[in-house]
Amino acid sequence: MATMPPVSADAARRNLRVGLLAFAGALAMLGLGYASVPLYRLFCQVTGFGGTTMVASESEAARAASLATGETISIRFDGSVPANMPWTFQPSQSTDTIAIGERDIATYVARNNSDQPITGMATFNVTPEQAGKYFNKIQCFCFTQQTLQPGQEVTMPVLYYVDPAMLDDPNMAGVEQITLSYTFHRAEDPVTPVSPRIN
Amino acid sequence: MATTAEGFDAHGIGHKDHGHDSRDHADHKPGFFARWFMSTNHKDIGTMYLIFAVIAGIVGGAISGIMRVELAEPGIQYLQWWAQFMGGANDINTALHMWNVFITAHGLIMVFFMVMPAMIGGFGNWFVPLMIGAPDMAFPRMNNVSFWLTVAGFFSLLFSLFVTGGTGPGAGTGWTVYAPLSTSGSVGPAVDFAIFSLHLAGAGSILGATNFITTIFNMRAPGMTLHKMPLFVWSVLVTAFLLLLALPVLAAAITMLLTDRNFGTTFFNAAGGGDPVLYQHLFWFFGHPEVYIMILPGFGMISQIIATFSKKPVFGYLGMAYAMVAIGVVGFIVWAHHMYTVGLDVNTKMYFTAATMVIAVPTGVKIFSWIATMWGGSLSFKSPMVWSMGFIFLFTVGGVTGVVLANGGIDDNLHDTYYVVAHFHYVLSMGAVFSMFAGFYYWFPKMSGRMHSELLSHIHFWTFFVGVNVIFFPQHFLGMQGMPRRYPDYAEAFTFWHQVSTYGYYIMAGSMIFFFVNIAYALLAGKKAAANPWGEGATTLEWTLPSPPPYHQFETLPVITDAHDYHDHRPVTA
Amino acid sequence: MGQNTRMKKVILSAVAASLAAFAPLGLAAQDAAAPAAIATQAGQVEGAQTAPGAEAGAGNLTPAEASVAPAGEGAYAPMAPTKGKGMPTSYEDGALQSMTFQDQYSENGKYAQWMHDAILMPVITAISLLVLGLLLYVVFRFNRRRNPVASRTTHNTAIEVIWTIVPVIILVIIAVPSITLLARQYETPPADAVTIKATGYQWYWGYNYPDHGDFEVISNMLDEGEAVRRGEPGQLAVDNRMVVPAGVPLRIQTTASDVIHAFAVPSLWFKMDAVPGRLNEKLLTIPEPGVYYGQCSELCGARHAYMPIAVEALPPAEFAAWVREQGGAMPGEDAAPADAAAAAQPATDTAAAASAAAG
Repeated sequence: MATMPPVSADAARRNLRVGLLAFAGALAMLGLGYASVPLYRLFCQVTGFGGTTMVASESEAARAASLATGETISIRFDGSVPANMPWTFQPSQSTDTIAIGERDIATYVARNNSDQPITGMATFNVTPEQAGKYFNKIQCFCFTQQTLQPGQEVTMPVLYYVDPAMLDDPNMAGVEQITLSYTFHRAEDPVTPVSPRIN
Repeated sequence: MATTAEGFDAHGIGHKDHGHDSRDHADHKPGFFARWFMSTNHKDIGTMYLIFAVIAGIVGGAISGIMRVELAEPGIQYLQWWAQFMGGANDINTALHMWNVFITAHGLIMVFFMVMPAMIGGFGNWFVPLMIGAPDMAFPRMNNVSFWLTVAGFFSLLFSLFVTGGTGPGAGTGWTVYAPLSTSGSVGPAVDFAIFSLHLAGAGSILGATNFITTIFNMRAPGMTLHKMPLFVWSVLVTAFLLLLALPVLAAAITMLLTDRNFGTTFFNAAGGGDPVLYQHLFWFFGHPEVYIMILPGFGMISQIIATFSKKPVFGYLGMAYAMVAIGVVGFIVWAHHMYTVGLDVNTKMYFTAATMVIAVPTGVKIFSWIATMWGGSLSFKSPMVWSMGFIFLFTVGGVTGVVLANGGIDDNLHDTYYVVAHFHYVLSMGAVFSMFAGFYYWFPKMSGRMHSELLSHIHFWTFFVGVNVIFFPQHFLGMQGMPRRYPDYAEAFTFWHQVSTYGYYIMAGSMIFFFVNIAYALLAGKKAAANPWGEGATTLEWTLPSPPPYHQFETLPVITDAHDYHDHRPVTA
Repeated sequence: MGQNTRMKKVILSAVAASLAAFAPLGLAAQDAAAPAAIATQAGQVEGAQTAPGAEAGAGNLTPAEASVAPAGEGAYAPMAPTKGKGMPTSYEDGALQSMTFQDQYSENGKYAQWMHDAILMPVITAISLLVLGLLLYVVFRFNRRRNPVASRTTHNTAIEVIWTIVPVIILVIIAVPSITLLARQYETPPADAVTIKATGYQWYWGYNYPDHGDFEVISNMLDEGEAVRRGEPGQLAVDNRMVVPAGVPLRIQTTASDVIHAFAVPSLWFKMDAVPGRLNEKLLTIPEPGVYYGQCSELCGARHAYMPIAVEALPPAEFAAWVREQGGAMPGEDAAPADAAAAAQPATDTAAAASAAAG
């Protein structure tokens, strides 16, 4: 060990205290880093940030329906599948005009084109982003994983309404169409570790 | 302040691992291995950091040379050769992957293994204890751990170049390591080693930050109040806080990348309900403070140097100190301006536009305060001073293009183009690097005990100044014309300015010869440096010590009086 | 996909319960079956695609030769690009032009360029020159020889307040057009805007036209020689362009299939990331016909530099013809090619609606 200037026990104790405090600060930020994952999700779910849609109960839907003014809005439906997903997945209709506040149902058609059962999980958002907090889903195939047998084709419904509160939001002024977008990901093995495969 | 003299009493109780009393042996040095591999001496560790940073800088600079030569004309000229040299296959995708490896390595090396070790590890370690009148850092052995963690990180990054990471060897994700390119998009262990390298370097920096904070809070000499500290110490203090608060967030983010890659988690994997955009938020929550981590110590050095060579106290000392605090604080709330095109709603973009522009205010205060420091001074244009003045101008140019980019609507065109490359090289490759050369020439006589050649350092300055401007100024044009970043090849219309930029690289590379010759000359034949070679303007404590300072300094603590003079940091007897 | 097959499909049990509870149950089937034109898309999508990754030959590029080309319609041929429009300018072709933005062809682009040229550029030039001037002045005036004795001035409250307040004022002046620009860029597309969904793949683009039969155009870079042969800029030319109607609001949506890409066209001041698992959307109107080149602008792996974007804006009638050549249909008509004059009508309507919306 190299020589060090002597330090009194008292000074060492005080240094240790400040050092530990600082280190605790770093640990707290580390914790915040991890906590950001659920916090970010929560933040998006509450504020609709990034076009995150809301989940509504039957009673909320009923209340929204009671506020309906008869104004309408166009809804566009979009479906995507990543390259590694052997499904076709498309909306049954590309657009629909609905009454704001009234619930409506839309369907998507998914087909497994491979020769093995495949489980899919959908992610979703709406555009424009500010519409997220007004787009409420009562029921959706995207809430759970879906498994399709080889060649199987299913129709997947989503039950939704657009909150009439959007009519009072200046950020929503001029929004004539909301796009509801889903991407069906392969849920079973996209999480295959990428590292161990060394060639 | 609560600083008490007895805390540093050289006659206090020796550390329990410390076998003998060194109070009579200020210059007693341990053997070679113990001194350089188990070092606990802040000056030795500082020296090691500086040497390490120079080596890393040569590697990172050489990589940028490879890139500039490749970009001298459209088409792929040399990448295939490099891909095979690095052990990759002879096909075009491997060659193109090699390009991504180069940009990644260049960025990571320059940020984590050149600028940060030099600024904080090198100059910070050397001069923070000297400037506050402390015998050493608060945790000398942890200091050693910090250094070797950084070295280990560098080796981990170098190792990643030799294992597969996609369509060839090495990690080709960019220094930002965005998911999913860095997860499902990069097969092979290279990215894991690159991430691990950031873990090691980050851990080293967090320990270092803890050390600096403790040292600066607890170990100031009697009378050295916070408001009496030299601005360089202030800058390191603010930097240490930024490190402490920002790096753990990066550590969390890249650890999640690692588990996404290897253990099936889906933090950033949309297929499992994760969000790749969250990674960008986390990365830039770290990344924006990181750019201030790289520049703030430079601010501190420039303040010392301008005051020294103007023979005049720093203008607006308190404003300068708190401008750095303000920059540090605001630096934490502007991160999404790196993500303007990712799909943010209009209110978010407006907020980040406004918040980003606010940073221009404290930065402006600093620029004008430096000029006001010179105003009415008696300026001598020694090498550190010309580098500092170069810094002020070039940092201003880099800063104002930052104001352009701050506008979310303007960034829609400039995002991820060479304009951004030009901007951050003006503030880093010219801002941070100029301040590092300024600091190096300022303190080299103190560190080595030898004078460098003023002539060579002036030639170095002018050639470097011309070189970097020729490299980076045309890159503004390329960016505005639409040349995207991170491209090894380009449309023919971009050829001319790319060629000019490459010529600039040759000038810059040539100018570095003067730097190395100068160091060699100084060490071999340089005049012995006096305790204070810079004259009456140099008023910080390190100039009261011989050059080089004794192995252990301030065994009797200096007592600083007149707490109200912001400028003179020396004990009254000095 | 008739009503019958639809009925046979498995409805997910979890949601089926709610469907039963949902009063106007007929609505689901009714809505779903409505646009027969779109339901027929699947087969045609295949026909419109170039094999991903394949370099298109001349035959693929001119679908006029394909059997889907409607009779009596002028066959689509890729528009020849105009030098200096929608592409970078070389130093040799225009030294000054090569040092600034590409000419802008969208309203927002023109406004943004005005903001840069008239506000930002003068301000940042003035600040840089001010700092340079002050530095040169202190070098000249306060050097050791001219000013041997330094002053000890360290404070001047007035000047410190000034150099804090003045930058604030300058920033506010910048902020006004900046916020205006953002507000304009975030105007949302009208309901009848022409929707194009750009999907980033490693390493090419796919363009879906959901309102026109949802065919997908796969767009690969042309190799240098082929591009030059066709009179297009190398590195920017593609085999199949993203064809859009000019003068009509476009709803550009982006997503990605593997990693993050970015859809960028400098001459339209347009850049938007394509993020897997997420859709982004922005309004774009291209007033005049032309070819506008762009490039992927987010690092996406080895061939990141080789997935350019070429947007070709056509007069609405020609766009409608192009759509039918792709096997698609204009909104409101059947997928089978209809009478040419009638087909052009909806596009003209859209254009009229667009100008009304813009006005």
